[in-house]
Amino acid sequence: MSGGDNWHPVGLSRSIEAGSSAGTRLFGQELVVWRDTSGVAHVWEDRCPHRGMKLSFGFVRGDHITCLYHGWQYDQGGYCQYIPAHPDLEVPKTIKVPVWLTCEQGGMIWTTLSENPLPMSDDREPTVPLRSLYFGCGVDVAVAALDSIRLVPFATDASADTTVSRVNDMLFAVSCAKDRILIGVQAISDARTAFHLAIRGAPEFYEGTGQNHFLGWALQLRHALEHSAEAANSVVGQEVA
Amino acid sequence: MPAKLVLYNYELDESCYKVRLALSLLGLEWQAVAVDVFPGKEHLSPPYLALNPSGRLPILRDGELVLHGTEAILAHLARAHDPSQKWLPIRGTEFAKVMQWLIFSAHDLGVTIAARQHSLFDTPGDEKSLRAAASHAIRIMDDYMTARGFAQADWFAAAHPTIADIAVFPAFALSRDFGIDHDEYPALRRWARRFRALPGFRTMPGIPDYH
Repeated sequence: MSGGDNWHPVGLSRSIEAGSSAGTRLFGQELVVWRDTSGVAHVWEDRCPHRGMKLSFGFVRGDHITCLYHGWQYDQGGYCQYIPAHPDLEVPKTIKVPVWLTCEQGGMIWTTLSENPLPMSDDREPTVPLRSLYFGCGVDVAVAALDSIRLVPFATDASADTTVSRVNDMLFAVSCAKDRILIGVQAISDARTAFHLAIRGAPEFYEGTGQNHFLGWALQLRHALEHSAEAANSVVGQEVA
Repeated sequence: MPAKLVLYNYELDESCYKVRLALSLLGLEWQAVAVDVFPGKEHLSPPYLALNPSGRLPILRDGELVLHGTEAILAHLARAHDPSQKWLPIRGTEFAKVMQWLIFSAHDLGVTIAARQHSLFDTPGDEKSLRAAASHAIRIMDDYMTARGFAQADWFAAAHPTIADIAVFPAFALSRDFGIDHDEYPALRRWARRFRALPGFRTMPGIPDYH
């Protein structure tokens, strides 16, 4: 399993504050997602070239991320610029963290493990962040559950069918009447999947009450997926018995 | 003259850390008495059992009062030593929410203590089930703070930090000690960043100084 030339969401933009970092995985590969203090998001391999420490354990100062272990500092291009134990050393360019292409769209941070990725569609419509959900199953099982919970409309009182559509390879939409939830699907590994959920629409309309409204749908979805997994496990258990 | 506040303390104990945090965030002076918990089991010796028959730290001495039970100590410090009354609010909803999360800390987060002690000190327990239960408890906190965020609320119980935040902080901040990373808890990451920026915040082994 690999990412091909596609783009993949690795978190909600709101979840990575300026000057902070977090770890994640894509197809099992460990990544650090960090945002410099000017607000630009970066996705890198989560490993300091020095001793292999996770950079997501480190800290962000200005436009640098610094390894917690020995304080090696890396600039936005992934190049090591400063080694505290050798303050006068001009650090060789060969000391570099692998850096992946990164962009933000639909309220999510996207990356690709490809050097020649497919073009990213240009979507500048506003979104309102909902939350991320994490499941102990593969992408296919998680996506199949998307139509299991009916979406209750927020923008209108009219009842309408819930429809699931695929926007692009890793982006789905669940719609009902005028409301639309975007679901960025992250293949953490073969056995773990994240959904990054955002509401399509204007912040002044959806922030607060609208977010709370759709949070209920998100938690129902998680409950359904976790309990269908339990049901599947119990069947296996019976067969063994 | 002996210090008024005396904490019987073990540096690696996250419950003692909660009290150290509270003392420091409240800007109080205190004296720590080091207790050799591991490997000495000094907390189970007769002098300490006389102070707390349950055989657990922390124990706080405040003048004549000797108090055990982490959440009770936090509540006492806030009530007796915080003139602003912010750390333990009196008003209805805020007080109720502080109590809810203090009890969550004392009850539901016990499994995070068990998971950490199993990892660090090889105390009995099944690693897999301890980790699953601990991550479930931490997820309850992340779910709650996700919804709080929609109401622009930054803290667990009030518009400002309270002893509820102190009580639940170490379980998340130390979770890497028992194999649970912070990756999947974005609301708690944001809250922990704010918590770390409070005047008087201090770390303990397992919580990096830089962040």
